[in-house]
Amino acid sequence: MALLACGLAASTPANASDPASAAPDSTLDGFLDQLADSTSQYFGVTAAPADTAGLDSALAYGLAHPHAPRARLRPSFNPDFSFNRVDGPVYTLGARLGRASEVGELRAGASYASGPNDVLWQAHWTKLFGGEDGPWRFSAGGGLETETLDREPPNMWLVAASAFLIGNDSQHYLRREGFGCELQRELSSARLGIRYRDMDESPIATSAGWNLFHRPLSPYDNLPAFRGRARELEYAANLRVDPLPIEAEAIYQTSGHGIGSDFEYRRTRVAASGNLGVGPWATLVPQVLYGRLTGQAVPQASFFLGGPNSLRSLPSGARGGTDYTLARIELIGADDVLETLHIPHPAFLPLQLGAFAGAGAVWGEDPFGGPTRSGGAWPDASHWVSEAGVSVIYQPGIPNPTSLVRLHCAWPLGPGGGPARFSLSFSPAMDFLRKLR
Amino acid sequence: MRRPRFQTASYIPRMLSIHAACAVAVIVATVVVPPISADTRPGPTVAREDTMRVEVSEVLVRAPRVTLDEILDRVARGEARRESLIVDQQFTATVRLVRGVGSTSHAPEILSERVMRVYKKQPNLARTVVLREYERGRHRGDADVQVSFGASMDEEIVNFAFRPEARRDFRYRIVGRDFVGGHLIYRIEFEPKTPLDRTQPSGLVWVDTNEFVIVRQEVKFARSPVPLFIKDIERMVIERRKYGEHWVLSRAMIRIASSVPLPKLGKGFDFSLIFDDYVMNAGLDDALFRAGQRP
Repeated sequence: MALLACGLAASTPANASDPASAAPDSTLDGFLDQLADSTSQYFGVTAAPADTAGLDSALAYGLAHPHAPRARLRPSFNPDFSFNRVDGPVYTLGARLGRASEVGELRAGASYASGPNDVLWQAHWTKLFGGEDGPWRFSAGGGLETETLDREPPNMWLVAASAFLIGNDSQHYLRREGFGCELQRELSSARLGIRYRDMDESPIATSAGWNLFHRPLSPYDNLPAFRGRARELEYAANLRVDPLPIEAEAIYQTSGHGIGSDFEYRRTRVAASGNLGVGPWATLVPQVLYGRLTGQAVPQASFFLGGPNSLRSLPSGARGGTDYTLARIELIGADDVLETLHIPHPAFLPLQLGAFAGAGAVWGEDPFGGPTRSGGAWPDASHWVSEAGVSVIYQPGIPNPTSLVRLHCAWPLGPGGGPARFSLSFSPAMDFLRKLR
Repeated sequence: MRRPRFQTASYIPRMLSIHAACAVAVIVATVVVPPISADTRPGPTVAREDTMRVEVSEVLVRAPRVTLDEILDRVARGEARRESLIVDQQFTATVRLVRGVGSTSHAPEILSERVMRVYKKQPNLARTVVLREYERGRHRGDADVQVSFGASMDEEIVNFAFRPEARRDFRYRIVGRDFVGGHLIYRIEFEPKTPLDRTQPSGLVWVDTNEFVIVRQEVKFARSPVPLFIKDIERMVIERRKYGEHWVLSRAMIRIASSVPLPKLGKGFDFSLIFDDYVMNAGLDDALFRAGQRP
């Protein structure tokens, strides 16, 4: 009853500051009312005030009988299917439980890799501290999973579709088993993260030599990873360079015998992306990236050049090395080109156009076993590859506002240039940034 | 050379006098020079008085004009001040979803409505009491519209484009000034500097320069933010009202045309948030919030 009294007292304007008790500013109110009236007329029933009948008694009851929100403990299940040439078809059943902003969110899944007849699993627990959009994010988890050697792979759904349909599986894979944890902090113009992982890493061989259209696998062999226990610390920072329209990112990963790892390396990756408006019609996205691996040239820590998020005129992971640089400038049109050309099309399918030019190189020790490419802090001139091309773009607005489905046609430039290469990508416009979650 | 800084105390009276002079001139001209009637029918006519002439001499305004940057700084500070003045707050919120908008075959119809009494107290206490829930044709297990209220008094839906960190993302332009009673209202247009992020809207805000708070906002999207589902956001309006000393969110309404007919919603629907019955700084007891929290 004390609570009810307290609630009712609270709902009664004690030192009331409601419009009636305050000195009205009738002229300004009238001005705003005039604007509001036309809005009400436009929105009709949507803008009508709520019927207040019965609300007082409902409030009194609600305050006297508090209804504490219950934790969401009903799990949601999501089945999944993927495909790659080392696991073959992979059937997964995943489950999600809880909310990250409350007691935490648990995501777990078990998979059956029908190629090697292995059961894979993963479980992660994530907790946000400080409310729904809490600035601190902690996650911990572990599992037995198949992952790509390339630490910055393209969209894996497209890779799986390509491997399943036509046998074009551009990635190389390894197995990881162990656990890791990560802490991230979000600031007004930066995100910082630190991660630790302790995992056994092992190579895995191709076990599924087929695809739906019976095309020869390209490539067939899977580049073997170094076997060993990897204990790795990662420091990551992503920041907005205010007031410039630039985002920069630095990731430093270190693994060494000092922390019980079988590998000894330091991997640094620095990237920056700009987002410059060209009037309301287009956006210019210049991007640069530089990566360096020192110490042991572990294939699973190497850099790979080629693919839709790298040099688009090369197949994914066509070249590898311990040092990597890439620059691209891309113009992304904003208008629906079909509408501009007066071509009838459904409203959900506006298509945009884009154009790009880029150059990049990898040098240093080749993870594929080829000769070491020469260069110091920068590659020798002969290792550079340049390209230019055009894209047809669809911007669905999900899962990220700047996520783009892009069909590229890229031409290699310079001596030894080959035919145009088509590729499909689904990634954020600023795809050099790995972005902390 | 450094620009003379804007001084409210001296600037407003000067603006007042200029506007007053103009207003007097317009009123005099209206009274003394009635409009010429286009009516040529026989009968009484109004004589045209052309012997009196009224001239208002040009006035050279020497007072320094406030720059757009200064206005934006003041709006950011005004919004922060508005937020800091509210210690606790209670209001009735109505969340409404209306379908059948723009349909020629049937009238708009409320699909769901939820009325809540919301209590908030700085820094982190919030409680919502649901007063009424209605959903047309809802079945057990159906998803419903979820709206949650945090403890913050910050009304980001109103000032998202005018926060200090948003200045790099938007371009601003003063499009007009209205002198209403003792209030100089600036109309400021904003638009994203780049069209890449379609969820960044453009819009028009009305800023009351007495307190440098946003009192109304109309938001537009140049292109659909999610073309897969949304064809067009036809109109979005956000309104504030003054309750006592405090400007607070009063209504937020949006009209959406979908790309494909959506289950239950059809091809056009409205969504609104209506806030009223505000009580500010009433000294809410912490016990009120403990009762609604999870044990």
